[in-house]
Amino acid sequence: MRLRHFTFSLLAALILIAAVQTISAQALDISSGGQATITGAVGGSVTGSASVLNDLIVTIDFGEVSPLNTNSIVKVVVPIALRSNQPYQVSVTVSGLINGNVQALQASDIGFGLQNIRKLGGAGQDCNQSTHIIRSPFSNDPALNATIGGSGRVTYPSSLANISGSTIILSGPELSKNNSIKRQNSDGYVFDAVFALTPQFFAAGVSSATLIFTISPGPNVPC
Amino acid sequence: MPRKISRTILLTALFVVSAISCFGQSTTGTVTMSATVSKFVEINSGGAVTLTGNSGGGVTTDGVANSPLAVSINLGELGPSNTNSFVTAQVPLKLRSNAAYVLSMTATVTSSGTTASRIVASDVGFGLGTVSRTGLGVNAGADTNATSGDPTLAANGSVNGTTGRYEFTAVRSNLSAFSSATTALSGPIIMNAVPRSNANGLTVPAFFAVKPQFFENGTSTISVTFTVTAP
Repeated sequence: MRLRHFTFSLLAALILIAAVQTISAQALDISSGGQATITGAVGGSVTGSASVLNDLIVTIDFGEVSPLNTNSIVKVVVPIALRSNQPYQVSVTVSGLINGNVQALQASDIGFGLQNIRKLGGAGQDCNQSTHIIRSPFSNDPALNATIGGSGRVTYPSSLANISGSTIILSGPELSKNNSIKRQNSDGYVFDAVFALTPQFFAAGVSSATLIFTISPGPNVPC
Repeated sequence: MPRKISRTILLTALFVVSAISCFGQSTTGTVTMSATVSKFVEINSGGAVTLTGNSGGGVTTDGVANSPLAVSINLGELGPSNTNSFVTAQVPLKLRSNAAYVLSMTATVTSSGTTASRIVASDVGFGLGTVSRTGLGVNAGADTNATSGDPTLAANGSVNGTTGRYEFTAVRSNLSAFSSATTALSGPIIMNAVPRSNANGLTVPAFFAVKPQFFENGTSTISVTFTVTAP
């Protein structure tokens, strides 16, 4: 009888410890930052939840990017929300965009930059001793800074080609005032991930890529 | 009783863990993207028309580089009163593509005359000149000219020894070869990955020529349609 009581107590204790650890581990959170938008597309779309309470799962279809699309550029803005009770960093990986034909769509043909870091829902941790830093070269709106390269091809200040392995794109001090264990509509920060693709005489075909954004403990900067 | 308490504690702990799991926080997010590049081809004017050897007539609607090809030419007098050896119109074409292309052509010739001496399709010489792939963003490649080039070249025509009529005799050197859609030029991808605003492309002159002769008097209309496709 005593052994049974001991077993129950032990199990309960272990579960509680696990719960506490789970709470601690989830002090970093990344989610949708709002409705993603797309402009300049022909037959394109962007889907994803507009709620900042939902996971970041966005699907972008740039649509037609041959000269059949007579718009100057296809631009997609994906708001991404971040929450943390500790210094953080955001990294990104890219996979899937492999075209052997150099005239086909390449990673360097998709401009990628970060813009407009702001408080989530108007509330977030105010830190005076550290700032949120967009890592070089990603602090730009690629749609506004596209230029013609020496080969006649469009280039951007930063693109998916600047992502090598897990690349840190953003870091800073803690993001949230409250140590809530669940997502809230405010108390964090949002930034815009901006993607730009200029229609060109690319070799025909369909291309795809997957980006995974990850938030993790960052450099130990003071708030 | 203690057993009940233990069970209660255990269940409570399980609920806590379940609730925490339902909060759904995450440290990763995914953005998946795709894009489509369809085959694209276009034909435009390569510039102004050059008309030579004409007596009267002129270019009614000239070509404007990089604008849709819609040229209208009055070849003028084609009877013996025109003492030039040929009336020739040179129409510059500009092609662009992100895929291998085929340029085909159809032509119709109608005349008010009713006899065999009226102007017919075989009296209108045709050929494509030297193909040029130059400029930033233009892909180097070898094109296949299915015509015999400038129809006024001596090698491309002569007077028929039996009838005395001048004939364009080389392969696809007159419009009778284009009564239905017929390939005039083909080749590999023309443009590298550059935006449409890049105005370069493949240029080639299309030559049309008529030898002034004792044709039956009247008027003739020559209509030519170029079509470029990416098979």
